Amino acid sequence: MFSDYAALIVLLPVLAFVLTLFFGKKFPSGGAALPIAAIAGSFIISFGIFLEIYPHGTVQQSMQWFSTLNFGILIDPLAVVMLMMVSFVSLLIHIYAVGYMSHDTGKPRYFAETSLFTAAMLAVVLSDNILQFFMAWEVVGLCSYLLIGFWFHKPTAAAAAKKAFLVTRVGDVLFLAGIVLLYVNMTNILANTGFSLEPGNFMLQFKSMFAAIPYIAPTQLTIITLLFFGGAVGKSGQFPLHGWLPDAMEGPTTVSALIHAATMVTAGVYLVARTFPMFVEAPNALLVVAYVGGFTALFAATMGLVMNDIKRVLAYSTVSQLGYMMLALGTAGMVLGAKAVGISMFHLLSHAFFKALLFLCAGSVIHAVGTNDLREMGGLFGKMKITATTMFIAALALGGFGIPGLHIGTAGFFSKDAIIEGAYEYGHVTGDMIPYVFSIIAALLTSIYIFRLWFMAFSGKPRQDRHAHESPKVMTIPLIILALFALFFGFSQAGFYGYLETNFELMGVEIGVHEGEALHPSTLILWLPIIVGVLGLVISYLIYNRRILDMSRIVTRRNPVYQILLNRYYEPRLSSYVIGEKLTHGVVAMSGEFFDRKIIDGLVIDNIISRTLLSLGDVIKKLQTGVVRNYASVTLLGVGLLIILLRIGGM
Amino acid sequence: MALISLMILVPLLGAIIAFLTKTRQQARAVALIASVIPLVISLFLFTYFNRGVTAIQFYEAYPWIQSLGISLSFGIDGVSLPLVLLSTIIIPLTVIFAWGETEQANKFYGLILLELVGVLGVFTSLDFFVFYIFWEVVLIPMYFLISIWGGPRKDYAAIKFFIYTHVASLVMLLAIFTLYFNAFQVSGVLNFDMQYLLKSYSLIGSPLLKDVVFLGLLFGFLVKMPAVPFHTWLPDAHVEAPTAGSVILAALLLKMGGYGLFRVILPTLPFTASTGLLITLMAVIGVVSILYGTFLALAQRDLKKMVAYSSISHMGYVTLGAAALVPLSISGAMFQQFSHGLITGVLFMSCGVIQHSAGTRIIHELGGLAKHMPKLALVMMAGFMASLGLPGMSGFVAEFLVLVNSYFTLPTFVILALFSIVFTAAYHLWAMQRAMFGAYNEKLGHIHDGANYEIFAMGVLVLLVIYFGLNPGSVLNMMTANAEHLDRLLRFAVLRGVIT
Repeated sequence: MFSDYAALIVLLPVLAFVLTLFFGKKFPSGGAALPIAAIAGSFIISFGIFLEIYPHGTVQQSMQWFSTLNFGILIDPLAVVMLMMVSFVSLLIHIYAVGYMSHDTGKPRYFAETSLFTAAMLAVVLSDNILQFFMAWEVVGLCSYLLIGFWFHKPTAAAAAKKAFLVTRVGDVLFLAGIVLLYVNMTNILANTGFSLEPGNFMLQFKSMFAAIPYIAPTQLTIITLLFFGGAVGKSGQFPLHGWLPDAMEGPTTVSALIHAATMVTAGVYLVARTFPMFVEAPNALLVVAYVGGFTALFAATMGLVMNDIKRVLAYSTVSQLGYMMLALGTAGMVLGAKAVGISMFHLLSHAFFKALLFLCAGSVIHAVGTNDLREMGGLFGKMKITATTMFIAALALGGFGIPGLHIGTAGFFSKDAIIEGAYEYGHVTGDMIPYVFSIIAALLTSIYIFRLWFMAFSGKPRQDRHAHESPKVMTIPLIILALFALFFGFSQAGFYGYLETNFELMGVEIGVHEGEALHPSTLILWLPIIVGVLGLVISYLIYNRRILDMSRIVTRRNPVYQILLNRYYEPRLSSYVIGEKLTHGVVAMSGEFFDRKIIDGLVIDNIISRTLLSLGDVIKKLQTGVVRNYASVTLLGVGLLIILLRIGGM
Repeated sequence: MALISLMILVPLLGAIIAFLTKTRQQARAVALIASVIPLVISLFLFTYFNRGVTAIQFYEAYPWIQSLGISLSFGIDGVSLPLVLLSTIIIPLTVIFAWGETEQANKFYGLILLELVGVLGVFTSLDFFVFYIFWEVVLIPMYFLISIWGGPRKDYAAIKFFIYTHVASLVMLLAIFTLYFNAFQVSGVLNFDMQYLLKSYSLIGSPLLKDVVFLGLLFGFLVKMPAVPFHTWLPDAHVEAPTAGSVILAALLLKMGGYGLFRVILPTLPFTASTGLLITLMAVIGVVSILYGTFLALAQRDLKKMVAYSSISHMGYVTLGAAALVPLSISGAMFQQFSHGLITGVLFMSCGVIQHSAGTRIIHELGGLAKHMPKLALVMMAGFMASLGLPGMSGFVAEFLVLVNSYFTLPTFVILALFSIVFTAAYHLWAMQRAMFGAYNEKLGHIHDGANYEIFAMGVLVLLVIYFGLNPGSVLNMMTANAEHLDRLLRFAVLRGVIT
């Protein structure tokens, strides 16, 4: 019954967007009511569909758009878990925002845009074809642009919004190029090989794409998947297109929570998961996914260590965790097959819960103390017990705390350890241990930076006289709900893997699930992730709580390592200043302008045409002024020429 | 039913009445009525047009100068109807947008109506001579719109516009006459019928003359589009033109060039002496226009000039899609014409509102306008997003169709064109950031939002852009049959071994 209304999952928030944008002021709490109701509706329908199709059903609806293209819905296990997560987390963030944005005058615009943001993400998730996926994906980008720049009167916000759009746009162009190449390949194999579409199927549907894989030349498949991955790199903030994400915190904190947890950055990981059957057939592309992911996980974590802005620490944490998800798809994809999708998606969901929680806690802190700067916080535990406790839980989840032997632990423990184990297994099978080493070091750094953040914010004595207070219930209740998920979501691991394992078989694609070759990791390997996690906690405790080390002697202008990290490897300067301002605008655009004005216009037009013909015009003007005369004379000239030409032509 | 001639005569009559009116209220009322009636007619044509056939429909013909084989014959097919629809949408909205015009209002509205007469004549004429007359008719009102209501350098701009397009027209006229006399030599019949003359093209004896005639026609159309390197008249004309003039210029007059490509160039292209080379030439011009327009837009300080260069870039897709000669690339290029007409209207109207309100369009002299102009900010943002190719809006469909389908025949050019996408987004967002966002520039003093009629005109265009972005089939299905017909000509040429 719910399946018949699948389209409403997207349409309800779209409707809420339109109504809130134009009539938001007339609705309760600045227009928040409609999006909340709409997204609650989306969640209920998604959940209802889940109950209906579990364990082996899918929902497929499709209609022709134009030509060989279609609009359609595909809800399979992969999509339905994502739909539930997106709508649920987005719902909680919307409720929280009622409190967080209560003093903002732009509430109707805010809630309209977040509603569209959620709708676009839901549309990405349930797309049944790659083009519609891309279209919704672009609308996600638009909404992130509008929301990061929500406080558009702040120049930094306007700049960050632009950067986010442009950097992800680089990825989008690659993604689009991949679609172009896929379309061309599909057309050619339809014309030239025995491959044909089943009746009622359209060319760019995922199932058609998967069915066509055996017919596509391997090099073409590798290029297509790499181009898709290029899109994912942009959207999911992977190196080297990661720079926009930390800047994106210029928007309201609730927007950051949406972007980082529910509605945007996960789209890139989801794209790779969605098209995973193609990646599996292109091992070279998978290797690139693994390395980019692994490197990003480590690279971003190093910057998380030194940031002083509470949201920026979390932003680098997101980049790093997304790297883990990519790493899982890459490494586990090569040795475990379809299971990799389950491993990666499980971390995606568990990360969504605890990262949304971290951001909302940060928002609660910022709301209370009025600053983002960790150095101006401290000693808030006594004043904000709920926020502090829930944030500690989130930090434990991010750090992956749990007990390996007993299968007890936070959500992050189950989800991240599986990724690290997958990387180990990949290393064991192929002898390439680099991704595993990356993931272990990154785990240590993760634990250090997140507890550094927690101790700096909540422990010690208050560093400034601020009248901090706990946030209202509308904000704390979402925190508590998310904390419960951060604690207990991990226990659904086995069921989750089982549910997603058969996902592609439902579409008739046999990827195969390898169980690994009787791999029994030693106790050390099993315990290593939690050991480095505890180690990180202890290090942060000693430095930022007990203060056994004078950080002011390390954190100096003279320390080159610190400077590189603090300046984020000079990426902002490179992308905005060198590439944007100097190279594109300064060199290419301005030399084009010079060419246009001085060469084409200056040398050719003004000299040749203007001088001769305008002086002719002057002569005629002396006889008779007025432009009509000019016109007449030019026309006459034309006719005269014509007559001469016809004479020559022998007429 | 003489629907098409009625559609052309009503605005002509309206123009005469508008010239004679005494007050601006009367003039604008006349203009609105005389432009809405053609809209109603074109909606009727749109509804009852028989999709899926290539033939001319709603045909009507009246003898004129029979001794020279000239007749007033009109009709529409899938190539022309979308542009007829576009013209009859744009002109009433332009009249509404310019509802507050005070300076010599009767002439102003009269000239706008004459533009409608001209473009409708161009898009529906089936006689090459009549086509040429309308082609010239379009020029004159635009010349006056620029030179009377224009900015400080209006004389320079108006004359430059005039000379450029007029030289192009003359070259085209010579080519038409060559076709005419050639057909006469072959058959002994004097006839200006367009289809007849185009079919007779392949009978031109000398290969050199064939290519010269083709290049003459091509030149005439490329200048109008405009394509690089024949484009420099456009930014100057736009900078000086009043907003209504710019809207008509960009939304309709440029489309005449593209229309020429589909109506005249593609049917003759397979029969030229050096088809392969000429296809490459067109593809190069198309891609260079896309990239060059993009980078030049990035260099501009004047918002309106930036939009002008973006037109050059977007019209490059038309040339590229036409040159690729794949059915859907041709449809995509035709759809790009239609789509760009709607989108560019919003952009130029935005520039007009800003100029009117802030007194300047220099981007760095603006800043933070969104704070005081929320309504403008909304429609302008929608227009800019459409222009940078956001999916869900018409521009995306057009550019996607062109890029994907051109890849079959011109892969390298498509890869080059893809590069422009990031930079296209860059100049749009850069302009939004500097002009609309950030701190409000207090030097501008107190400014007000766009008038309701201005926002209305822009809002309608935005809604249409979204409608045709989600439902492109309603226009594309008119074009498909003609596009496939043009493609069959190409296949014929391949069989003849002209190109490989």
